[in-house]
Amino acid sequence: MNTYRFHVHGMHCKSCSVLIENDLKESVGVRNLHVNYEKKELDVSGDFGGIAPEKIAELFTKKIEQHGYSVSLEKERRAKAKLSDFNLAIPFALAFMAAFILLQKTGIVSFGASGTMTLGTVFIIGLIASVSTCMAVVGGLLLSMSATYAKEGQGLRPQAMFHIGRLISFFILGGVIGALGTAFQLSGTAHLLIGVVIAFIMIILGLNLLDVPFVEKLQLTLPAGLSKKVFRHAKGSQVFAPFLLGAATFFLPCGFTQSMQLYSLTTGSYLNGAMTMLVFALGTLPVLSLLSFGSVSINKSKYAGVFFKTVGIVVIAFALYNFLNTLVVAGIIAPVFSF
Amino acid sequence: MTKSTILSIIVAVGIIGLALWFSGSSGKGGAEVGALNTTINGDKQYIDIVAKGGYSPKVINAKAGIPLVVKMNTANTFDCSAFVVIPSINYRGTLQKDGTTEIPIPAQPAGTTLRGSCGMGMYGFAINFI
Repeated sequence: MNTYRFHVHGMHCKSCSVLIENDLKESVGVRNLHVNYEKKELDVSGDFGGIAPEKIAELFTKKIEQHGYSVSLEKERRAKAKLSDFNLAIPFALAFMAAFILLQKTGIVSFGASGTMTLGTVFIIGLIASVSTCMAVVGGLLLSMSATYAKEGQGLRPQAMFHIGRLISFFILGGVIGALGTAFQLSGTAHLLIGVVIAFIMIILGLNLLDVPFVEKLQLTLPAGLSKKVFRHAKGSQVFAPFLLGAATFFLPCGFTQSMQLYSLTTGSYLNGAMTMLVFALGTLPVLSLLSFGSVSINKSKYAGVFFKTVGIVVIAFALYNFLNTLVVAGIIAPVFSF
Repeated sequence: MTKSTILSIIVAVGIIGLALWFSGSSGKGGAEVGALNTTINGDKQYIDIVAKGGYSPKVINAKAGIPLVVKMNTANTFDCSAFVVIPSINYRGTLQKDGTTEIPIPAQPAGTTLRGSCGMGMYGFAINFI
């Protein structure tokens, strides 16, 4: 009987420890197994027939890597080289924001389209919307979500679910608008509320990406008992949450989205309205996919730390920008930005 | 720990400040302070504003004490500027995609400044009553 202590990588919430315990406790030789979330440690005892601990770590990793976790004898690597990441992340974030501001100043939103609307025009409007100030809301939210999932080591699935959710909801709800002939419009109070909530979520996710210890303690974690129940039934959190978020972007405040919704209602039929909104969402897809799938691909590279910190800063800046704009619309403060 | 957090927040605020400075310096179509740029016709005054990727002119100097009609002109306006909000007079409206939409504004005392913005707050305009 041997006892070993391993370090666990990729845990982001209390339920992860439950998931890992469930996946590993059936392994050959294991008698007793416990994962400590706070310390990111795994204690295991059992009869492993003289296998070297490195080999055990490998075997364990194989079983749980599909969920983005790994096990090793060494401590977490990311603890090192933390602050130095900011040397690159800060200039990168500044450059990105400067590029974004310059893009707005080129007047890209004032493109000249011909009078009649075709699906081709709608697609181009989608393309433009995805690089406009709408980016600060939908793009910022997506970026914070994608980078968070990527940092947890999750694969393409949650990212893909977000886009699928977005496309499906734009098609279905666009059709509803077209058929009913009434547009969805936020009241002033709802706008303020949504704006504040989104800004709050983005700031939390942004701070999370900066990888600073005190935020990890703030993280809203499910009680372990509840997590146990949830995880026994479904590993669905990687599927439904991003899908719903993607679907909900239909209602996010973005001028272009709302203009398209207004146009859809004039089309007067389910199919035309649905097609208009779907093609618009397809137009925004290239830039939005770049944001989400870029996060996944960069996660494996050695610049991951720099990337996530850059994204963290950008997301926080976007969140503040959205928050100030929300206050402007509510008439609480005078307009501050005007690109 | 907190060193990096504080640093990042400072940078984020710095970026916002930069954006402010950038956007503040662009007074495209802004009227000279003090000069009326409305047209008085009968007992009302009128101003034409182009709404597309922002508002132009952004600063309107109107005469105090007589009603103002803001004529918002659009041509294929799909962006935020198609949604106009003027909080202090409780105005929330949607402009038609092409054409002119009139926003009636009641007479205001001298010294009042009405601030409007687009529906999501990124573009703004101001009306000074003098």
